[in-house]
Amino acid sequence: MAELLRSPTGIAGTVLLSIVIAMAALGPFIAPYDPQTFHPIARLQGPSWAHLLGTDQFGRDILSRLLDGAPSTISFGLGATLLGVAAGSFIGVVAGVAGGAVDSVIMRLVDGLLAIPDLLFTLLIVTILGGGTGYAMLAVAVAFTPGMARISRSAVLSVRTRDYVLAAQARGESWGWIVGFEVLPNALSPIIVEATIRVAFAIMIGATLGFLGLGAQPPSTEWGLMVAEARQFMFRNPWMVAVPGIAIALAALGFNLFGDALRDALDPRGRR
Amino acid sequence: MATNDAPVLRIDGYGLSYQTRSGPVRALSDISLNISHGRTLGLVGESGSGKSSMAYSVMRYLAPNAREDGGRILLEGEDLRTLSPAAIARIRGRRAAMVFQDPSTSLNPAMTLGDQITEVLERHRGLDRPAARAEGEAALARTGILRPADMMRRYPHQASGGEKQRVVIATAFACQPALIVFDEPTTALDTITAQGILELFRILQTETGVSALYISHDLALVSRVADDVAVIHDGRIVETGAPGEIFSAPRNTYTKALIAAVPRPDRWMGVPPPAVDAVPVLAADRIGVLYGAPSRLAQRLGIKGRPHWGARNVSLSVRPGELLGIVGESGSGKSTIAKVLAGLIDFGGGVSFEGRDFRKRKDFDSAYRRAVQIVFQHPDASLNPRQTIGRILARPLIIYGLAPRAERPARVRALLERVRLPAEFAERYPHQLSGGEKQRVAIARAFAAEPELVICDEITAALDVSVQASVAELLMDLQRETGTACLFITHDLNLVRQLAHRIAVMQDGLLVDIFDRNGAEDPDRAQYTRALLDAVPKPAGVKPPTPFEATL
Repeated sequence: MAELLRSPTGIAGTVLLSIVIAMAALGPFIAPYDPQTFHPIARLQGPSWAHLLGTDQFGRDILSRLLDGAPSTISFGLGATLLGVAAGSFIGVVAGVAGGAVDSVIMRLVDGLLAIPDLLFTLLIVTILGGGTGYAMLAVAVAFTPGMARISRSAVLSVRTRDYVLAAQARGESWGWIVGFEVLPNALSPIIVEATIRVAFAIMIGATLGFLGLGAQPPSTEWGLMVAEARQFMFRNPWMVAVPGIAIALAALGFNLFGDALRDALDPRGRR
Repeated sequence: MATNDAPVLRIDGYGLSYQTRSGPVRALSDISLNISHGRTLGLVGESGSGKSSMAYSVMRYLAPNAREDGGRILLEGEDLRTLSPAAIARIRGRRAAMVFQDPSTSLNPAMTLGDQITEVLERHRGLDRPAARAEGEAALARTGILRPADMMRRYPHQASGGEKQRVVIATAFACQPALIVFDEPTTALDTITAQGILELFRILQTETGVSALYISHDLALVSRVADDVAVIHDGRIVETGAPGEIFSAPRNTYTKALIAAVPRPDRWMGVPPPAVDAVPVLAADRIGVLYGAPSRLAQRLGIKGRPHWGARNVSLSVRPGELLGIVGESGSGKSTIAKVLAGLIDFGGGVSFEGRDFRKRKDFDSAYRRAVQIVFQHPDASLNPRQTIGRILARPLIIYGLAPRAERPARVRALLERVRLPAEFAERYPHQLSGGEKQRVAIARAFAAEPELVICDEITAALDVSVQASVAELLMDLQRETGTACLFITHDLNLVRQLAHRIAVMQDGLLVDIFDRNGAEDPDRAQYTRALLDAVPKPAGVKPPTPFEATL
C-alpha cells in the first residue's frame, strides 16, 4: 500500500477512488432527500442551499440522486469489466501460450468479433438475452472480451520468447507453472491498465443502454441514465448533465490513475 | 602531412553530470584530450565509463538532464559550448560527423541508401541533385562497395550489416569533415565484416587525412587503428599514450587490469583435458533444424514456403569434463544447436546422452533436462524480473527434488558463495544486480541442478572485457570442482582458445571444421576457419607474448 502512495499519480488515484467507493458504499444513506421525491416548485434549479447541486425537471434533488445511483453505477462498471477482463485474458493467454493453429483459430474469431463496434455488439447481445441491468452487464462483458483477448495475447507473446521463459522450458517446468509464474506476472501490466480504462467505458455503455431502454430503466438513478435523461433539459439547467457527467469522469480518472499506480507498485523494478 | 600543429579537437578540463532523481551523477570529470590533424585518438573504456557521453558532448547531442561542469571543447579553435544551436547544426555533418554503433538503427528504413547519402551532400555541400548523386556513388565506390549504383537504389533492409556500415561511413566522409567520431562502429558486426570495416577506416583516413575520435571497449582493436590511446574509467582519463606503450608497459592499475583481461589465445585458462578415448557424455548425430517449413495444411494447399536450414547434419560429441567450443558468426546455427540440446526446438537426427537415445524434442525427460543445463547470452533477459534471486536459485532444487524444503535456504546461500556473490543477494531482485552479477546468478542456477553438461550460449558476449574474464574464470573453477562438461558457444575466437579443449566451427548451419585447441595453426584447417582466425584482432604494437610473458 505504501508503494501505491509513493507517486503523485498514486495519491491522486487512491484519493479519487476512495471518494468514489465511499459514495458507492454510503451514498444512499447520506443522501439529504429521497431521490424520487418531486419538488414541483423547485424544478430545474441551479445549486442553492436547499439543493446543493440543483434539481432536475421534476424537482428531484440531483445530489441525492447522484449519491443514490453510485452503488449501482460503480458495481455495473466494475462487474462488467471484471467479467470481460477475466474471460478475455483467459482466451488471450490460452491463444498466446498455445501458439500455432490454436492461436490462429482463436484470434481469427476474435478479429471477426472486433470488427463489430462495442455498442452494436452489446445491443445485439441484449436483444438476444433481453433487457435489464444484469443482462446489460453481461452484454458489456461479452463485448469487452475480444479486445481484452487481443491485448492479453500480445502481452503474453512479448513475454513468451524471453530467455527466462525458455530457461523454464529447458528446466522441464510444467505448463501451468510457466504460465502462472513466469509469463503472467510479467504480462499483467498492460492488462491491468486496459482494465481500469475500460471501467469508464463500461459505465458509459451501461448509460447508453439505459438511454435506449435496454439497460437500467427510469426512474433508476444510474449516472449514465441521469445524463441521458438530462439531455433535453441541457440548456435550461446544465447542472443536470454536468453533475453526473463529472461524476463519471472522476470515477473513470480514479480507476485509471489507480491502475497506473498499481502497475508500478506491482513491478519490483520500480523499487530501489 | 600535418602542416598546422593546432589540434583539430581540443578538450580542456571538461566535466559532465546527469541530474537524476537521486541527485547528480558525474559522468565525466576533468577530461583533457587533443587530436591533431590527421591523427586518430582511440578512447577505450568499459560500459558506464563515460566514453559515449564524451562522443555525444563533442557532437553536442546532450541529454535533457545533462549538466556541463566547466571546461572547453574546441573544434579547430572554436569553442562548441558557446555556439548557438543553429551554428552547431551547420557544424554537424560538414565539419564534424559521427558513425554510430549499429548501422541498422542509424539509417532511415524508409529511404533508399542513395537518397540518404545524397541528402547529406545536398545539404552540407550545396550540390545539386545530379552532382550529389554522382558524388554519392563515388563515395560509395571508395568504401569498396562493388556496385555502388545498384547500392544507391537499395533500402537499408536490402543491404547486409557490413554494407550498411560502409554506407554510413561513406556518408560521414562525404563532406570531408575535419573530425569524425566513431562510436563502436564494428561492435554490431561479425568478426570478418568488422575486419573489412577497419581496413576501410584506415584506407580512408590515410587518403583524406581526417582526424578521428575512435571510441571502443576493445583495447586490442583500438590499438590497431589509433595513433594515440586514452583509457577512460569512471569518467576520468586514467592513462594516455601510444598504443604500443600502453599495451606493453601500462602504468595505471586499471589499464593493467584491463589489458590482463583481454583474452589471448596463448594464455590457457581451462581445466586439464579428458582422456582422448573417454566415452562421450553427449553425442549429437546428424542434427538438422529446418526453419520456416510449410505446415501440413499449407503443403496440401500447395503453398511453398521458403524454408532454410538453421542447422544441417551437425554431429558432435562432448566427453565428460571436456569443454567443447563452438564458434561461428551470427546466423551460423550455433545457437540453434544450443536450443536443440536444451530441448527448446524440434529437430531431426538424434541425440544420445549417457547411453540413452532421444529422437525428438518430446523425448527429453526430466532426468535429461536436469543433467543438461543452459545459460543464455543476455543476463537481463534470462532471470525473471519478478522473482527474487533466492527464488530463482531454489527452483531447480525444487523441481529436481535435490533438497528438502528446510535445506533450501542454506543451499541457495552456498550456491551464491560458489559463484562469489554475497549470500544476502538471495533477497534481491535481478534489476538490483549488475550484468556480471546477473550472469553469475544464471550460472549458479545451471549448476544448482548438478548437471553433467552445461551449455553456455554466448554467456560473455553482453559483458565488459574485465567482467567477461572473471565470468570465464568462474566457469573454469566450477568445471574444475564439479567435472561438468561444457559446450561453450561464442563468436570470440580468442576467448574460446583460452578455454576449450576442442573447437568446432560452424558456418551457414553446417559444421565446417572441428579441431583440437593445439591444432589451430595446422595447414589442414578449413578455409573458413583460417579466415576467422585471421580476422581476429590481435594487439598491435607488441609481438604476441609468449605464455611466460603473459603471466608476468
